[in-house]
Amino acid sequence: MILTGVLLAVFGLGLVGWFAARGRARLLYKGRGSMHSMPGYHGWHLALWIVVPALVAWLVWQAVMPGLVEGTVFASPAAQGLPTDPFQLGAIVAEAHTIAADPSAVAFNPEAQRLVEPFRQAQVKFGLMGAVIVLIVAFAGGAFGFTRIRPDFRARTYVERLVLGVLLAASLLAILTTFGIVASLVFEAGMFFKDVSPIAFLTGTHWSPASTMGDNIDNNFGAVPLFWGTIYIGAIIAMIVAIPLGLMSAIYLTQYATRDVRKWVKPMLEILAGIPTVVYGYFAALTVAPFIRDFAASIGMVNPSTESALAAGLVMGVMIIPFVSSMADDALAAVPRAMSDGSLALGATRSETIKKVLLPAALPGIVAGVMLAISRAIGETMIVVMAAGAAANLSANPFASMTTVTYQIVQMLTGDQEFNSPKTLSAFALGLVLFIVTLILNIVALRVVKRFREAYE
Amino acid sequence: MSKSDWNSPEAVRRLAKRHAAEKRFKFIGLAAIVLSLGFLALLLVIMLKNGLGGLDWDFLSGSDSTDASTAGVWGAAKGSLLTMLVTLLLSFPMGVLAAIYLEEFAPKKKWIEWVEVSINNLAAVPSIIFGLLGLAVFINTFQMPRSSPLVGGLTLALMTMPVIVISGRNAIKAVPPSIREAAYGIGASKVQTTFHHVLPLALPGILTGTIIGMARALGETAPLLMIGMRAFVVTPPDSLTAPSSVLPMQIFLWSDEIDKAFVQNTSAAIIVLLVFLLAMNGIAIYLRNKFEVRW
Amino acid sequence: MTEANITSAKIAARNVDVFYGQKKAINDVSIDIDNGIVTAFIGPSGCGKSTFLRTLNRMNDTIAGARVDGQILLDGEDIYAPSMDSVALRARVGMVFQKPNPFPKSIYENIAYGPRIHGLASAKSDMDRIVENALTKAGLWEEVKDRLNDAGTALSGGQQQRLCIARAIAVSPEVILMDEPCSALDPIATARIEELIDELKESFAIVIVTHSMQQAARVSQRTAFFHLGSMVEYGETDQIFTNPRETRTKDYITGRYG
Repeated sequence: MILTGVLLAVFGLGLVGWFAARGRARLLYKGRGSMHSMPGYHGWHLALWIVVPALVAWLVWQAVMPGLVEGTVFASPAAQGLPTDPFQLGAIVAEAHTIAADPSAVAFNPEAQRLVEPFRQAQVKFGLMGAVIVLIVAFAGGAFGFTRIRPDFRARTYVERLVLGVLLAASLLAILTTFGIVASLVFEAGMFFKDVSPIAFLTGTHWSPASTMGDNIDNNFGAVPLFWGTIYIGAIIAMIVAIPLGLMSAIYLTQYATRDVRKWVKPMLEILAGIPTVVYGYFAALTVAPFIRDFAASIGMVNPSTESALAAGLVMGVMIIPFVSSMADDALAAVPRAMSDGSLALGATRSETIKKVLLPAALPGIVAGVMLAISRAIGETMIVVMAAGAAANLSANPFASMTTVTYQIVQMLTGDQEFNSPKTLSAFALGLVLFIVTLILNIVALRVVKRFREAYE
Repeated sequence: MSKSDWNSPEAVRRLAKRHAAEKRFKFIGLAAIVLSLGFLALLLVIMLKNGLGGLDWDFLSGSDSTDASTAGVWGAAKGSLLTMLVTLLLSFPMGVLAAIYLEEFAPKKKWIEWVEVSINNLAAVPSIIFGLLGLAVFINTFQMPRSSPLVGGLTLALMTMPVIVISGRNAIKAVPPSIREAAYGIGASKVQTTFHHVLPLALPGILTGTIIGMARALGETAPLLMIGMRAFVVTPPDSLTAPSSVLPMQIFLWSDEIDKAFVQNTSAAIIVLLVFLLAMNGIAIYLRNKFEVRW
Repeated sequence: MTEANITSAKIAARNVDVFYGQKKAINDVSIDIDNGIVTAFIGPSGCGKSTFLRTLNRMNDTIAGARVDGQILLDGEDIYAPSMDSVALRARVGMVFQKPNPFPKSIYENIAYGPRIHGLASAKSDMDRIVENALTKAGLWEEVKDRLNDAGTALSGGQQQRLCIARAIAVSPEVILMDEPCSALDPIATARIEELIDELKESFAIVIVTHSMQQAARVSQRTAFFHLGSMVEYGETDQIFTNPRETRTKDYITGRYG
């Protein structure tokens, strides 16, 4: 609470500093060419000298303060006779912490109630201490900055250098995210592979993580049925739907449709891409899956399940149509007009030109688009969670219930489980596999697209 | 070949066959579009049919409940709002700044290529992977509160940022060099040129990309499932750290209910979500049309 | 021009107007084009010479909003009549473009493409003969006979353009339209194409659009001068270049504008 106020105070000081420095710089201004930087830059320079060091101090204090507070609390007389078991202790401290912040809360442990008062006192004490430190840093920074206001001082250079630093930091966030993904997946999957051999995981055909007890843990984490289900639904059924429909839509829109039709139909197709996957999932579960089950029954299947690979794959395919269509659209548009003109001038019909000249020429772009579409389909989660099923079947029957990598990740990580069991950790191993596969698909596809574009430029 | 060759019965037959093939092909193309849009229409009609009856003030202002007739969507909508706020506040500035750096300032060095590959790839990484990241980093490592809009927003921000960077770069790239040269010509520094001249001109394009990215984030469910944003929320969340749900999650939770009465709720919530998304996309398209400048 | 000429001319255009949307690109052009000679269209850029050329095999059909009024007769038959099939027409009136545009296929397949879609060869040996014939006529056979399976795009610019000419020849057209065929080529490649055009005129009626007056003077027997969408003057090439009737033609030829 105190520290939040201090933060506001620091920004207030920064504002004051901005006006003060600009005012002072204006007094120094003796006409054109007399100063290196405009007064506004001096304002920014000083404001930054006040805010940035103070912010750093504030962040550091935020990080160390909880430790200091806890240390003081434990040293206080009220902490006598607390349980030594770290788990219980942690619970009590957390509770005291909650009550200290919110007096309306009621203590579950009496020990926690005793700790509340010392907690509050310590928080106030260290809060004030932090506030003083942060303000001192702010004033010190401000004083230093203020002494540097001189006509020949290059305030703009310094400010711009900082701006560049911030820009650079923002772009590095992408690398940091990628690194974070890789590190967390590798770390958690590594814990999993301590218990389960990677070979058994990647080649085993039996998946029943619920029965993790016993010695033959390896035999329960065979992920092949999951990989198969993912490929069958995402890369086979969905693509059988999405590739012809997406490709033919793109061909019609780019080669046949009038400009007006194109103007209206294209955004409508894009709506398909904008519908949330959870809506598709619900649609699959509510409408498509029962329809397919009834259809399966009518062709003589015994006890067809409501959840089927076909229902999930079909709906996923529809979701991917606009994606394939827009990639194919780009690929076809990249083929120079001279190519189709050459064919038409020989007396080829439109469709002959498309099939024999345009499509072969656009093929690399289209293949790359399909790769990206597959990458998207195998990473899709909600449709399979709602329509594909939990049973790890190694079957080619589209009416069978089938599970996927993403389904199992969700399954392993929802509900209340202790965090470090092989069962929950297996989700990260599956995530790692998914990440690597989609990464390869994406990078190869982006390369192909780039080379394809360059070929026609 | 001369005119007479083209009039031989065999040639005429062959031509007729080719023209029939042409018609067939064109028809298949049209059928593909009709089929795709028909699917869209079917989906919308079913949702409207099931859900319109449930859309009333109580539904719009209520929160989740075990009783389908009193359950409402406001609690989840507020969760979505808070989550999107965090996402926007983080991903927009970071995305725009990164786009500016990569387009205007980045040196042609190897590590910049890595940043670019990284961004392009992040835009295509399955959303559930971001959920795993959020779980491992924000919740397990930094001990942030589970199920909270803060963590949800952070996770979605990491997912949305690459989208904003990519659209931002395209918008900045579209600003012609002559604008920059004009600014340099009157003695502006590179930073001044970028922030005073290039950025304002690129802003509509950046905003369009941002809205589209935000719309995608608003519809996301899978990553939020990973960080436990599936709380049963009977009162709307009142802070960024309170347990909450979001609209798509509410749809998912209701779709799982056995009670048939929830079908109406689920469909009605879908209508609410789609209205939001359509509105956002509409604004994006409007912005694009209104401010699109051809140089 | 008398009425009698209509029947003898290979292509006869009568009062042709071309519109792009609202804009009139060609205004009232009438011209007779004969067999066995090269006819050149010259004029400053944007004068409509290429647009008019593209009306002769209905390539303008592929441009949205393009419309042609008037009559164009091929052997006395109106090519814009509903009964005329644009596919068959383009097989009879071939075209070579400004920039060489070989398909991204092998040399062999580039040539075989046209005969195959039109069903001109029933056996592989027929096709081989057609390909060899077309490449020989285009003066390319000796250079490529050992690498027919290489990509057409791997050839040099001049070779690519001769490949495109061979591709047009392979469907045995009656007329070949050339739209500035040498504008993307170096002088040596240009000279080869010009020689080729001179040989080809024995078998085909050739119409060439060119921005180079020297080229028109070298390769053509008749020349039409276009300006601002109209045909200003049409006559024997020698006469046009030595003794133009119209002042506008004279101004253009003497380099007053263009």
